[in-house]
Amino acid sequence: MCTLRVIDVPVAPTAFFHGHTLQISRSMPKRFAAAVLVLIASLASCRDSGRSTAGGDAGGTVIVSTAAEPDFLLPPLITNVQGRMASDLIFDKLAEVPPDMNVTRDAAYRPRLAQKWTWGPDSLSIAFQLDPRARWHDGAPVRAEDVKIGFDLMADKKVNSPQAPNVGEIDSVTVRDSLTAVFWFKRRNSEQFFTAAYNVIPLPAHLLRDVNRDNLQSAAFARSPVGNSRFRFVRWLPGQLLELVADTANYRGRAKLDRVVLSIAPDPTTAATRLLAGEADFYEVLRGEQLEQAKQNPALQLVMYGGVDYAFLQFNLHDRKNRARAHTIFGDKGLRRALAMAIDRQAIVKNVYDTLADVPYGPAPRSLGIADKSIRQTPYDTIAARHALDSLGWRDTNGDGIREKNGVPLRFSVMVPSSSRARQNVAILLQEQLKRSGVDLQVDQLDVNTMIARLSNRDFDAVLSAWHPDPNPSSIRQSWGGESARSPNGSNYGGYDSPAFDAYVDSAVMARSGDAPAYFRKAYQVFVDDEPAVMLYEPRLVAGASKRIKLVELRPDAWWAGLADWSIPADQRIERDRVGLRAASQ
Amino acid sequence: MWRLVAARAAQAAAIVAIVATVTFALIHLAPGDPFAAALDGPTVAPEIRARWREKYGLDRPLAEQYVRYLANVARGDLGWSFSQHRPVADALATAIPNTLLLTGTALVLSFALGVLAALFQASRHGTLADRGTGAVLLVFYSVPDFWLALMAMLLLGYALPIFPVSGIVDPVMHEYMSGWGRIVDRVRHLALPSLTLTLLTTAVIARHQRAALLDVAREDFVRSARAKGVAERTILWRHTLRNALGPTITLLGLLLPALLGGAVFVESIFAWPGMGTLATKAVGMRDYALVTAVAIVGAAMVALGSLVADILTAAADPRLRDA
Repeated sequence: MCTLRVIDVPVAPTAFFHGHTLQISRSMPKRFAAAVLVLIASLASCRDSGRSTAGGDAGGTVIVSTAAEPDFLLPPLITNVQGRMASDLIFDKLAEVPPDMNVTRDAAYRPRLAQKWTWGPDSLSIAFQLDPRARWHDGAPVRAEDVKIGFDLMADKKVNSPQAPNVGEIDSVTVRDSLTAVFWFKRRNSEQFFTAAYNVIPLPAHLLRDVNRDNLQSAAFARSPVGNSRFRFVRWLPGQLLELVADTANYRGRAKLDRVVLSIAPDPTTAATRLLAGEADFYEVLRGEQLEQAKQNPALQLVMYGGVDYAFLQFNLHDRKNRARAHTIFGDKGLRRALAMAIDRQAIVKNVYDTLADVPYGPAPRSLGIADKSIRQTPYDTIAARHALDSLGWRDTNGDGIREKNGVPLRFSVMVPSSSRARQNVAILLQEQLKRSGVDLQVDQLDVNTMIARLSNRDFDAVLSAWHPDPNPSSIRQSWGGESARSPNGSNYGGYDSPAFDAYVDSAVMARSGDAPAYFRKAYQVFVDDEPAVMLYEPRLVAGASKRIKLVELRPDAWWAGLADWSIPADQRIERDRVGLRAASQ
Repeated sequence: MWRLVAARAAQAAAIVAIVATVTFALIHLAPGDPFAAALDGPTVAPEIRARWREKYGLDRPLAEQYVRYLANVARGDLGWSFSQHRPVADALATAIPNTLLLTGTALVLSFALGVLAALFQASRHGTLADRGTGAVLLVFYSVPDFWLALMAMLLLGYALPIFPVSGIVDPVMHEYMSGWGRIVDRVRHLALPSLTLTLLTTAVIARHQRAALLDVAREDFVRSARAKGVAERTILWRHTLRNALGPTITLLGLLLPALLGGAVFVESIFAWPGMGTLATKAVGMRDYALVTAVAIVGAAMVALGSLVADILTAAADPRLRDA
């Protein structure tokens, strides 16, 4: 039953009074004003009574257990996955990447804030036509100026946004009319559309126009944003939780859930235990013993989905002390290939991950649309490996089981993060496999910070590492490109610098989107043949969720992409599902 | 008395200054920095990281950074936290009350339990019950804090779901509870972390208190009371315990560092948003300003605890008051 509640506007967001302040003129007849007040109060109290006003299916709370906290909620400042997750739930992009993750075909993108888009005749501009129904959560309409400020904040040197390199190919964004934003590019490439639609997040110009860009991280908006997506921000208690509720008047339709709470636990074991104990409803990655416990838990469902990570044994191709010189062992491509042939990747995957990982095709995970399974792999062949080592002059002359050449033993160390049990296990298996071919691998377990410092200083022989690449294929330049190898601060720590690889990647990026995959395939083949790293495994992810939740497919790079379409059937709701849309008191 | 307070306060200030300096130096000398590359993903371009270092003065010599830090602290500015992404003062303001609640509860509980256990043991001195109680307490004292925390969580939070496994309150329902309901909710969430810290420290208090009780029990006035026919229970509670509490009060001040140290792991495991959780994350991310500030606050709390213990001891013993 609806109870009358004396309300003082602003009225909380509803379909009719979305964030506007209601003002009643003094000249308005008192009786009419009272009637209007009663009507509004009744509507508001109905909404606040703890039941959603949307269709019968809508409702419920999902508590997501997470082992880290968002850094910011303002897209130009975000550096971590949790920040990106929260931002994606609060802010819509212009268009969403296709389900097959092939980001170079704009025709397959799904419209979001942009209803449609038109390419310029020279392909150096794209005009995005905004959906006129789109509104910010404070009620203001989404306009082309919001797209422009979204780009400006990312590109402005004062802000020093970590996202700035991602929009480096955009020259400017202009406003053609209130609902049309035009992106102008410096040059044509196959990822133009991705750069505009995925990397630039429209932001409310009416709230951010006058913000101090020198100190954007201190702006209130960075921790308490006003978005435009199907969830709106309610509160963020640092170290505890971040709460979002459904935007009932959203232009894309109300979220099927009432509320999403990111519940923060800094320890991964605790984060998983919350799910197992029923205090949380979802945890994105269950591993090892927790996975076994979750299998036995009748209240949980397990969902396997492909991730975008891939792990590899990377060789330092240069001398540790003198970068101008080749590494004594790994400077030789033939030797790297011999080592690759001595490694049984299938056995490693089976031993460490069982069915929860795959052997990669190359330096692009199979969940990204650009991955190519036709790439010719270096075979596992220990006889061929031994022959190759013999022919290269590495022989066991003193009978100690380790090969030597010119008095130098075939011995090297591999750095492994002490925080990763899986990689430690992989290192032990590698050690055993290489030993059979007369190679002495020494495992060096290091604290993460020490490991990063040694990688940055290029002070290592080999490293058991992993990448979490962006969905755009050109991001491979950061990890394996020649420019990154030559830069002292680049992320290509092993120093792989292949003109052929770089040329194919450049060709792929500059090609028309339809031609790009063929060039990427050639680049990946050059990479696999050169073996600057042995691609070891791509973990598959297993999420745990309460059985009462109806999930939609989890996207490899962003499991949360369909969160607004998750639902909880009315007959399976528990106490926290029935709270409704009431905003929690601060 | 005031001379004693002034002298102890001066000592405390010196200790805090030394701790701050040593912490500042050590955390800067450790490998890595707040803007180092991520291990498994080239998320932030090197040139952006370089500009961040420049903005926050991390490209300056260490001595210059230290002088700037001291100048800022003198102005009341504890700096910007790179791990919390907000001012250090804000992060501390939300964390300190939580840590005080947890360690304060554990201190009170361990004191009460420790004294009770000691009374139990002293009244049964030399019996199997005395030795058994001592052994059980010693086991809790010996186990690592993180292991005990995990066991408490798995046993009382998961296998027997009596208490919530983590957090400070229910993330959803707390806001919709009545006043009494909120108190119960908070106490339920406090149960496991405070129980863990309590079990870890009770043994120390019990052992000290037991020894003190046995010492006092041999005093002449106790023998006299017994000769006059005073009941054993009255002798124990009214005569022996009152005179044996002095060393335990002193111990309370010394236990504060142990509790704060234990809170680092216990808070992290139970997702208790206090100084321990802040410190763990800050050290991992090389958050220089926050690590140093946490060390300063921790040192100050320990110094204050010692000061309070000294004052209480002096108040209880007139000979010390006039010293």
